[in-house]
Parts: sequence; C-alpha cells; structure tokens
Amino acid sequence: MKMNETIEFDMVDIKRQRIDNKNHIYGRRYDKPKMKNKSENPEDEFVDESRTVIIDSGAYTIKTELASKNEPMLIPNCIMKAKAERKRLFIGNQIDECRDCSGLFYLLPCERGYITKWEVQKPIWDQVFNKTLCPVNDKHVLMTQPLFNFKNIQDCTDEIFFEEYEISSLYRCNPTDLVALKYGLERGMRRETCLVVDSGYSFTHIVPYINGKKCSNGIRRLQIGGKMLTNHMKDILSYRQYHVMEETYVINQVKEDTCFVSENFQNDLKIASEGASKNHIVRNYILPDFNTIRRGYISDPDRIKDMHENCQVLRLNNERFAVPEILFTPSDIGINSVGIVDCLIDSIKLCPRTYHDALARNIVVVGGNALLPGFKNRLMKELQSRMPAKWVVDITVPEKSTIYAWQGGKSFLKQHGSVEKFVTKKEYDEFGSSGIQRRFNEWKTFQEEESTKEVEMKQISLIDHVNKLNVFSRQEDLVDQVDSIEQKELSQSYVLDGSVTSNKSLSALEEGSTPGLLNLFDDKNAVLTPPPSEKSSEISICSESMSKMKSSQEENLQVKYFFQNEDSEEENPLNLDFI
Amino acid sequence: MSAQKPTRGSGRLKDSEKRKIVDDSTRRRRFRRMLELLESDNYQEDPHADLVMSKKLPKFDDEPEQRSTRTKKKERTAEYYQNKYRKSFEQMVEEDRIDAEKNGRPSYLEAEARSTDFVARKFCNVCGFFSKYTCVTCGIRYCSIRCMTIHQETRCLKWTA
Repeated sequence: MKMNETIEFDMVDIKRQRIDNKNHIYGRRYDKPKMKNKSENPEDEFVDESRTVIIDSGAYTIKTELASKNEPMLIPNCIMKAKAERKRLFIGNQIDECRDCSGLFYLLPCERGYITKWEVQKPIWDQVFNKTLCPVNDKHVLMTQPLFNFKNIQDCTDEIFFEEYEISSLYRCNPTDLVALKYGLERGMRRETCLVVDSGYSFTHIVPYINGKKCSNGIRRLQIGGKMLTNHMKDILSYRQYHVMEETYVINQVKEDTCFVSENFQNDLKIASEGASKNHIVRNYILPDFNTIRRGYISDPDRIKDMHENCQVLRLNNERFAVPEILFTPSDIGINSVGIVDCLIDSIKLCPRTYHDALARNIVVVGGNALLPGFKNRLMKELQSRMPAKWVVDITVPEKSTIYAWQGGKSFLKQHGSVEKFVTKKEYDEFGSSGIQRRFNEWKTFQEEESTKEVEMKQISLIDHVNKLNVFSRQEDLVDQVDSIEQKELSQSYVLDGSVTSNKSLSALEEGSTPGLLNLFDDKNAVLTPPPSEKSSEISICSESMSKMKSSQEENLQVKYFFQNEDSEEENPLNLDFI
Repeated sequence: MSAQKPTRGSGRLKDSEKRKIVDDSTRRRRFRRMLELLESDNYQEDPHADLVMSKKLPKFDDEPEQRSTRTKKKERTAEYYQNKYRKSFEQMVEEDRIDAEKNGRPSYLEAEARSTDFVARKFCNVCGFFSKYTCVTCGIRYCSIRCMTIHQETRCLKWTA
C-alpha cells in the first residue's frame, strides 16, 4: 500500500514538472502547498465504507447496515413476548421466528422517543451489534440520536459503544441532519436551506436548515407519532367492533394497510356516512388468525364468497382517515396543540425572514407517517392556502421515507472532512463522554445571523437606501411589521457603531424607532427576498444595486445575500467562495 | 346507586335521575387516562409475569462462543447500565432545561408545539362522524339517539358508578 502511494506521488511530481516546463501559469497552481497536502493521503479524506456502520436508531426500528451496502436492515427496536410461546423472548428481528403474533407484549426501550429503559435497550443492541447481525467492533460508527437527546442518554451510549462494543470511532448526529444533507445534494445545493419534517413513531419534528446549519431555535416538536395513531386506532376499533386493545402488532399493520390522509376531510366524512353504493372509502379488512392467514389484508369485494369461512372481518370506514387526521388537528381527540401545518409555519417564522421563501420551497418529509397516502397532497394544500400567494411551496416525500436518513448517512461519509468529525476511541479515553459530546451537539440559533446582517448593512450609507427606494416598489406581503424589539436593536446598533458618514444620516438613524426608517429597512428586506416569480427582474435589480455600492466589501456582502436567497440550482463558483 | 322510591313514570327520566353529573376533575382525570393510554406500550399485563425464569439456563445458545472474542472485563450486564444511568424522563427534561439555560441554547421544552387557537371540532364518540349533542352526564359527544343509547349503555356508565 505504502509503496504504491510513493510511486503515485513521484508520478505527480513528474507530471507537475512537465506542466511547469510547458506553461508557467499552470505550474503556479501546482506549487500551492494546499493541493499537495490534500493529495498526499487521499485515504484519510474519506471514511472507509466497508469498515463503517451507519445506525439510524429510531424508537420503533433500528436501521443499520455497513455503509458499503445499499439499503439497511430494519430491526424492531423492542423485545416482544408472545402468548403462544412462553419462556421465550423475541429480541429485535427474532420476531420473524414467531408464528403467532397475536397478543404480543412489547418491551420498548424508549419513552417519548428517548431511551430510558436500558435493561431493554442493552439486550437489543447486544443482539444487533454484538453478534453476527451487524457487528460493530473495530469499526467506525455513524449513529443518529433524537433532537435534544439528553446528556444522560448520550453518556450511556458512549460507554456502551466505546467500552463494550469496542468501536474504533463514533460520530453522532440527528437523523434530520442527514436528511437535509441528502436532500441538498439531490437538489444540487452545496449548503442546503430546507425544512425537514420527520414524522416518526414517537413524535414529529420540524427542523429548519439554513445554509447547511440547523436552526436550533426554529425546531418544533409535535408530540404525535405513529405510536399514538396506532393506539388511537386500537381504542376506537375496540369500542366500535372487536376488542383489539391487546393486538398492537396487528392493528399497526391495519393502520399501515388501510389508513390514508384525507385531502378534504369534511367531504370524505360525508362520503363515509353514505350508503354502500356511494361510499368508496369503506373497506373490509381480513384479520390474520396466524393459522391460515399470516398477515391481514383488504378483502376484494368481488371475491367476497371465496373468503375463509371463519375469518374475522374488520369494517373500516371513517377510521381510515380520521386516525391520521390527528396529525393535522390534534384537537380532534382533545389534545390541545396545533397540527403539523401550524408547526411548519411557526418553524418558518422563527427563522430569519430572508430565508422564509427558500424554506417554503424546500420542504422534505421523512419518517414512517410520510408513507401514508395523501400526506404530501394534504400538506401542500394546507400550506399553499396559508402562505403568501407569491411563494412557491414545494414538498418532497422520498419514496423510501423511513430509510432516507440512513441513506443520508451514506452521503455524509462521502463528504469532504466528514472523517474529521468522528471521535476516536483514543479521544474518548482521554476526554471522556462529556468531553466529546460537544462535537455531536451543535446549537446554532439564527437570530444572531440576522443581527450580524444588520451590522453589515450599517456600513452602507443612507443614500443607498434612498436610491433603492426609488428602484423598488413596496411589496406588501413581504413587508411584515418589524417587532418592537428588533426596532430597538436597530437603533441602538446604529448609534453605537458610529461609522455612519454623514451627520444627516446619523440624526436620522438616532430616531431609529420612527416609522420612516423602519420602512427603509422593510424595503431592504424586500430587496433581499424577492419573490421567486420575479426572478428575472430580481437579477437586474441586484446588479443595479451592486453597482451602486462603493467599497468592495459591501459588494461582497450584497453578492452573498443574493446567492443565499437563490436556490443555487445552477452551479456557481462565486457562490462557493463567498459562503 | 342509592335506593330509589318506587314511583310510576317514564323509565328514561328515572334513569337520568339516577345518573349524577360527572364533575370537572373527574372529566380531566378521564382525559389524562386517555392520554396515558395513547402513550402506553401495552394494554395487557405482562403474559410472562407469573413465569419464574430459570436463571441458570443460558438464554441464547450462541451466546458464549459469540462473545468470547471480547475481553471478559468489558462485558457488562444490562443491569449495570440500568443502575448507573437510571433517570426518569422528567428528571432528564429538567436537567436539559438547566443545561440549556446555562449554555443559552433552546431546550427540549421550548420546542414543544404551541396550543391551538381554534375551537376543537366535535366528533361522535360512538361512530366517529360529526356530532351535535353532548351527554349531560359525562360530557362526551354523540350524534344521534342510536349513538346516545350505545353510549349510555357502555361508556357513560363507566364514569358514573
């Protein structure tokens, strides 16, 4: 291996000299030490995929496999006890060996999405990572953890993985990080700005990403997930038809097979109340008996006579869409919380205004609930009716939404510099669990971003603003009222800075809270966030305003804003330099 | 139920006299119980709870060989972690809150979705369609006389006894 490398580098040297002889300009580029350093050990730049395990650890399933594989295994993150087979526990995927899954008793390691029962989690991990299924010893491990993962949980995870499973290095991040990264790469964005909706088993998280960084203050959590939907379905079916309270496993399958998100709830409810001839929603579901029928299925109405004699039939009518409806209106079952749509809007509002429309244009939905048919259309319909008409709302729901984060892990490993993020065993031994956790938990609030932007804008003299006023017409729906706190900050920062050139502007600025100046700033915002429909005019506007900038520094800033707003679909080298 | 005087009259009225109106705190308790049910892992009791597992028997046949590559010292039982890292969910949320305050980052609690501004839609507890009527006794909604009878025969009584 080493031999090969040295030979290769000799080759590079020879090549360099040759080019040097031919062309001095190219030669200069090769002389840069940076280039040479990078090519010196190309192995170190990327993580060895065959020696890396990606673990997307969810509350319901663990998605894990070597990074060199294409798709992960889905292993139930629970221990199950069957009625029929006493004296035996089914750990993780051992449930496949269980023939009678009626009345399964679950031992779940997670409480509201966070691991609290280590006596349950440990045997499952042992089963998955310590044995033949997906051994992790002496491997690099990329692992996900829920947002706001508690320190106690992280400490224990570190201890188990480093000390007991003896992994060589570890990196932990949120599944949404990986989703955002993968989505960004698919869309050709280098630094992704998108809104990730992760609707899983325990909860639904909405996480905004701005220029590749998670906007921590914009995270919203809806305490509703697949578990609650299944439990609610169990409850209403038990009351209306059979007693199925003990059949979590079966009812979960019923939910997966029959439920959908209604696009027009009132209308669908009306259809469901109609007689059989007009009602296209009602379905008969054949329940499994674990004797002749292993898994339940929707019965075909034409072949109703062929059905088994003794099978139990579940009649599903409004339950089919009333259950997933809880995600959109939790108040339907008395939970006093806003639905997923309002959470999305809240989350966008908490981000700097500059990015609002870019976030609305890049929404990606992952997690098990995203598999419900109609989810995307409903979300789209509600969001469009709630957002300014000029904004383009675009929602992406990946086909395999449950393993999207895991696939994102693959993309993460292919990134430059990802190897540096891993914490090695040596570092763990030296700094301990608390010492390394800072590298796993990034907190970035984007309010700061906005204030720095204001500081930068200060350097531009008032005349420029006035010029802009003439150029642009006011755009009503973009110009929201600035809240009073922001106003104060603005006026204060202006006075403090003192870099304002003319006396006239200074005096105007000291009256920062007057509506006149505020309008000015609103117009500034209007420049920075032009609606996508006016793209062509926007470019000309920005170039015009750029030409008015005096110093080169200011010009840079302006360019930066411009490109951040742009959904950088076209690969622009400028873009990479400035950000 | 308390003893009733034997009087003539409508059976329905007699029934309704028998019912006491469920007070607010009971209704709240019922709602809390419903939420707990929605979060619960299981409805039934542990089917193996009465079983006495023989601890001497190894639980998995392949365990000894598979683990032999590891140094014995590093192997720890699940109980070890359970005892070392035993903390309730509420405890961890509280710790997170304190840590977040110290470091100026958003905490777990802050990310919670806000409460809704709208009045809840009302659904029949029995059949799941929109409802118009409220049970006088317990406050649960129903949509028709048919559903009312079912409700009074089943769920309503649960809370009045």
